[in-house]
Amino acid sequence: MSDDGRYATQIAVVKEECKDADEAEIIKEFRRYEEEFLIPPEDALRSVIRKFQIAAGQEVSTISSRSRPAIAEKKVTKFSELKDDDKNVTIEVAVVSYIPKIQTVRGEERQIAYGWVEDSPWEGERERWDFTDWGDHSQNLTPGSIVRLEGVSVNFWNDRRSININRPSRVTVLKEGGQPVTKISDEPVPISEAGEAEGIVSVVARVLSKKDDQIVKKDGSGTLDIVRGRLADPSGTIGFISWRDFEHEVGSLIKIDRAQIRRFRDTPEINIGDLTKIEPFHDSSFASMDDLQSVNRSTISELRDGARDIEITVQVENWQARTFTNADGEERTVRSGDVMDPTGRCRLTSWGEMSPEPGAFLHLKGARVQFWQGSPDLVIDSADQVIDLSDPPWDAIDPADHWVEVDLTDLVNGGSRRGIRTAGTVVAIANNSGIIERCPECRRVMREGECAEHGPQRGDEDVRLRFVLDDGISNASTLIGKEATEALTGMDQAQIRDAIDANTRAGYIATLRERFLARKLHVNGRAMVDTQGAILMADSVEVDTRTPEEAANEVMARWGVVL
Amino acid sequence: MNQATRRSRQTAIRLFAQEYMDADLPEEGAGEYDPSFVITKLGAKVNRALVGGVIDRVERRETESGSFYTAHLRDPTGTHRFEVASFQPELHADIEEILNRFESGDRFLMLLVGRARWFETEDGGMFTSFRAEEFSIVDKDLYTHWLVEASEATLRRLDAYEASIESDLTPAALESAGVPSDLIDGMVLARGHYGEFDTENYRVGILQSLSMATGSDAIFEAPPAQPTLEQSNESAGEVIQTPVPTGDVSDILLETIRIKDDGDGVDYDTLVHAAVVAGHSREEAEDAIDNLRDIEGSIIEPRFSFFRLTPQ
Repeated sequence: MSDDGRYATQIAVVKEECKDADEAEIIKEFRRYEEEFLIPPEDALRSVIRKFQIAAGQEVSTISSRSRPAIAEKKVTKFSELKDDDKNVTIEVAVVSYIPKIQTVRGEERQIAYGWVEDSPWEGERERWDFTDWGDHSQNLTPGSIVRLEGVSVNFWNDRRSININRPSRVTVLKEGGQPVTKISDEPVPISEAGEAEGIVSVVARVLSKKDDQIVKKDGSGTLDIVRGRLADPSGTIGFISWRDFEHEVGSLIKIDRAQIRRFRDTPEINIGDLTKIEPFHDSSFASMDDLQSVNRSTISELRDGARDIEITVQVENWQARTFTNADGEERTVRSGDVMDPTGRCRLTSWGEMSPEPGAFLHLKGARVQFWQGSPDLVIDSADQVIDLSDPPWDAIDPADHWVEVDLTDLVNGGSRRGIRTAGTVVAIANNSGIIERCPECRRVMREGECAEHGPQRGDEDVRLRFVLDDGISNASTLIGKEATEALTGMDQAQIRDAIDANTRAGYIATLRERFLARKLHVNGRAMVDTQGAILMADSVEVDTRTPEEAANEVMARWGVVL
Repeated sequence: MNQATRRSRQTAIRLFAQEYMDADLPEEGAGEYDPSFVITKLGAKVNRALVGGVIDRVERRETESGSFYTAHLRDPTGTHRFEVASFQPELHADIEEILNRFESGDRFLMLLVGRARWFETEDGGMFTSFRAEEFSIVDKDLYTHWLVEASEATLRRLDAYEASIESDLTPAALESAGVPSDLIDGMVLARGHYGEFDTENYRVGILQSLSMATGSDAIFEAPPAQPTLEQSNESAGEVIQTPVPTGDVSDILLETIRIKDDGDGVDYDTLVHAAVVAGHSREEAEDAIDNLRDIEGSIIEPRFSFFRLTPQ
């Protein structure tokens, strides 16, 4: 190559350091850094020199680690117990003053602060010291407050001791300075916000529906009359429970003050109790019932466990009836099927008699949502709740290929869903990936030949991979079942077992890591979401096939980068 | 909102070495099991990260509790340091293999998932590194994919950072300024802690990476010149006059001692950190400290690891 000359400067330096190094080898190395490792020669210099030094057996400067023993925490109650060089000190103090100051530290403007603190904040005679706050703890060091300082050090200078509150130091407020301000607002909030809130809220809303209900007390002492229903404003709808009389008619506009938000499973509800005040509200421009009905219409992607009074349109994929004998010895029939809408799929269970054809469009009213195996199941109690639509609301969806593309972050922040397709990069490969044993009774994965529930026994062998997919913003644990694993790895169950037997499980995991760590995967399947995060159950998995160039072009288009 | 704060897994932040090396703001979890973070200037809250680079160093050390390993990965912007601890025996076979290949002269690309670690110096300075969780040797294709992902993640943070400039530093204001929700916490902390800086530095790595990925020959010059080996390797005693914008490493060390020494001397880590902040490598700083003490004699070490200027 004619461009060897461009490494000349660097080569000279390498040769100076490593006299015996072969020039052709040096060129080769620089080219390799540039072309393979994407590091230009000037930046590669140090690495290349080190490489030839090692090759020549020369001394190489080592990474120094002057390990310092961790300094034990020193807990004191008075400044007088402190010595000049004490570090990692814990002490409770009263903050007397706090004077922030912008100071340039190594070319960067930083806020530091000076002030006074006094020891023995709770009782007795106090001693006052200076302090310097290097870590911008201004929020927790308001004058008048009493705080616990942890990890602070003593600074001894010009015969004076003071306290250094460092960046890693911790400041815990024990008593607020000034007047504590807690505000409970009576201002009404939109229903969409009320649903996210905790505690007491006020809303202005129209009564969308209501019906009398009864709750059987758990202690068997009888029943309680309640009213259930649904409220709506233009931002959304929310269910309510009234623990007392609720005489407002469907359609009326009311202001509800000081109701409590409680959650039934994953669904927020407005609880109307003794402290709640309800009064008619007058606003002629407030959304009409008709407008609000459409707000109330749900899609499958919006279903949450415990939701009630759902209005939704679905397309039926299949339908079955099953007869069983319940605990009371009665024979009952439950009908159910897979249903879809453009946002995903779920199951529909009906306790009423109905037998829709595959492909039928159903409009459901007053449906409720129950979770079954971590995914939403629409339930209706009577066939009256169903209207068979002759006029399809969307072009018929092909169930064989109905995967709704959902961004991983939207998925993790939403509810459990079926029929989704998402993508992420593999950042962890669980050590129990590969062959697993399931309890023959409950299908749970056994550990060391034992089922958590059913004890030691001979398990049924199965295949499963457990990865974590991560897109840099969100992540989800991902379970890949037998078929998908065999297709993804190109090995069937017997071959996987042989690989583990021949190479140990750790060896098999290492091959998975080599193949899949940091690879982007596309997953078709369902997502189970709870407060601990999301689990993807993959029906099928594909490795992303874009070239780096395609990926880079997409990024440049998205962010308007021009090279 | 989500009241239940059971621990969910921390997402692996994609970031280049430069952004991580520049970070000196830790956030320690309040409770025993709460995650801790390193917060970068661009507002990334890093507990876990996916990083990559060419292997640049690997060392095994023996301690009372067993072997542990330290290693460097170089990406287009700088060096990521990571370690495999003695209590991670499940990773020892793999890191030994990497050590062997490295020592036999092989160089190769790696991607690593690691947990953020940091190391404080007395003046509040900080070194950042990772403890390995998963790593693997990768080909150029996969590495380039990572470069693209890290570029996009950095672009996203730059965008959020710029959106935050005109905004009040409250979560609500940042949200309405367009800062994505996962970056809001970190942005509040970062903007409150770091002074103003030139974001162009962070663009260089992105442009380099994207041009590598697309096979374009565009060359992007980093604005501040990196200190080169010639400067740090000049023989002892010579007056070094090569003009470097970031300053000579010895001068920085001497100046740091002059400013900070209040009688007890300045500790080793503070000095190294000062040099690193000025753009020098840790090794250069270490060499220069030895040189100033043992050869030039311009500093003394009255007690272990604390340095003072030699009295006139």
